This record gives sequence, C-alpha cells and structure tokens, in this order.
Amino acid sequence: MKLRILIADDHEVVRRGLCTLLQSHDGWEICGEATDGRVAVEKAKELKPDVVIVDIGMPSLNGLAATRQLVQQDPHCKVIVLTITDSDQVIREALDAGARGFVLKSDAARDLVSAVEALQLNRMFFTPRVNDMVLAGFLDRRKTATNVPPRLPTLTPREREVIQLLAEGKSSKEVACVLDLSTKTAETHRSNIMRKLGFHSIRDLVVYAVKNNIIQVQIPSHVSSGGEDPAV
Amino acid sequence: MAVRILIADDHPVVRHGLKVLLGERQGWEVIAEAADGMEAVKMADRLNPDVVVLDVSMPRMHGLEACRLIRENAPNCEILIVTQHDSPQMLQEALLCGAKGYVVKTNAARDLLAAVDAVSQHRNFTARDNSRDNTGLRRQADETQNSNR
Repeated sequence: MKLRILIADDHEVVRRGLCTLLQSHDGWEICGEATDGRVAVEKAKELKPDVVIVDIGMPSLNGLAATRQLVQQDPHCKVIVLTITDSDQVIREALDAGARGFVLKSDAARDLVSAVEALQLNRMFFTPRVNDMVLAGFLDRRKTATNVPPRLPTLTPREREVIQLLAEGKSSKEVACVLDLSTKTAETHRSNIMRKLGFHSIRDLVVYAVKNNIIQVQIPSHVSSGGEDPAV
Repeated sequence: MAVRILIADDHPVVRHGLKVLLGERQGWEVIAEAADGMEAVKMADRLNPDVVVLDVSMPRMHGLEACRLIRENAPNCEILIVTQHDSPQMLQEALLCGAKGYVVKTNAARDLLAAVDAVSQHRNFTARDNSRDNTGLRRQADETQNSNR
C-alpha cells in the first residue's frame, strides 16, 4: 500500500516543487494539498494521510497550531514541519506541538525525502543543523532552567488561534466566522487574551504574535539591519 | 523560436516548482538555474536568456542588484521579479532597477505564465493581489518606467 502524503503550504510554487520531489519516490503518493493550516486539518480528517508536511508560516492557522490540531485529531498522524525559521524557539514549539520531523525549506530538496523515509519507519527526523540546535538548547536549558520563565504561560490553543486571526487584521466578527463561534464568544476570547497578556491595543498583540512566531512577517533584506532574509 | 528562461532563487524547492510551472508552456525552455544573485548575473552574461525569473531575497547578491547588473550587461534580457514581498515600494524599486515584470509568490501559480508571456514580448507585467486596489500602483509603475526611458 502506498504511503499517503498531504502537503500544506500557502505558496503553490512550493507545493508544486514538493509534489514533484515526493511523487518521484516509489510507493508514495500525494493524496491532497492544503493552502493553509485550517484546510490542512480539515483535509487530514477527510483523507487520513500517513504523513502531513506542514509549512509554519501559513495564513488563518499557522503550521504550529495546525500540527497541534492534527496530532490531537489523530495521534497516529505524523507531521513534518517545514520552515524558513530555524530559531530555537520555533523548533521547541514544533516539538511541543507533536511534530515528528523538522526540515528547513532551504534544505528541503536535500532532506525532505529522508525525513519522510524516517517517519515511514516510525523514526523522527531532524536535519543536522536542527539536531545541533536542539542539543545546544537542551544543554543550555539545563544550565538555566530555574531562571527561565514560561514563554506562553496561560494561553489556550484556541486563544493562540484567535491571536493569529486578530494579528492578521480580522475583526472579532470575522474571527467568529472563521472559528465557527458566536461574535460574543470571539469577543470574550479577545478580552481574555488582552487581559492575560496585559495588552491595551491590537498593536501590542501584533508585536506579540510576530515575536512568538504566531504570524511571520517578511522584511526585505536590504531594509533589515543586516544578515540575509531567510524568506522564501 | 523558444523563449529561453533562466530561474534564480536560493531555494531549490521553489526553483523546482517554478520549473514545473514554466515547463507546462510549449515553446518555453528553462535553460539554467541560479542559486543566488551573483550566479544569476554570471549565467545571464554567459547564456543571454530571453527572460530571467529573479527572486529578491537571495544570498551573496540581492535580487535587485542582480537585476540592475543583468540589465546593464544584457539589455535585451527581460527581468521578471518573483518575490514574497507584496509591497508597492518593492515594486517601484524593482522597476527602477530595470525589471519588466513583478509577481508576488503567493500568486505565482496564477500570474507566472501570463507574466513571462508579457515580459518575453517586452511588455510590462505588474499585477498584484486582486484583493488590493492596484490601479494606482500600475500608474506608479508606468510613470517610473517612463521616467527611466
């Protein structure tokens, strides 16, 4: 029986690239494609893929939140997170969300096939670069564990979903529509979030969402203060 | 005669996807791929393609700088910028550097073929997200290009 793979990325160019890369492997088939995290969760429920490849920076529901929902929906679902962001925090959050693999987009052509093969054998997959970061982070955390405050202390997964939608510019009414809630419930989530985080404006919320990788913002490399823009 | 295309993007998966999309059109040929701006300039110099599909955020040399150099070295070669930056400022900068077309990556599947078609015939292509009003932007782009002439 073929290994069934679902691909979730908001860029069709990337999906096309990933499809051709994976389809050329014997015994694998792309059973579906999704343009954002929410669609990925819905399609996974319907198609029951063996492996889901999820981009982190997707609209509506980001890849980390989608991973959490995919694993919650089906604990056997194996998720590979595909990302342009190789920060220690994102790696930790991906692992917390239940991802079994972590591949940098820049390395995808080289590593993605190996990652899917590893998951097929019920193993996890991290690129050497990510392995180093995880190990360094683990060792560093052991040294400083007592001084590190929790990063996202009291937010529920639903509240994080609401944060993403608000940070993307949606109103409470639009949030309610996307999440199938009443406007009143969406507003309650919004005020709970603002209270928990001690924020008084949407601007604070957007900054928080960017800092915590709930949304990703690309800054042109010639505008930023230095270094390369890792964006696709 | 075939339209000869050079693709420049630092992500192999994106290059792969672009190649698949462009390969769907008969009479178009992807003649080479570059992984950064500097490589793109060298390849364009050597191969003299009809169209260069050029990413902006690339290592070693920024896409807009590569665009400027390619236009200097090979004035007949048209540049199509394909980028994730959906901003009028970036579009204007691209046009100032000599790009003939500008496509936002999110819309690449929708716009790429039409854009390559246009720039290969030395026509402008500056469509952006349909959800935004891009009339002003097009006017701005035309003005920028006219002032360059």
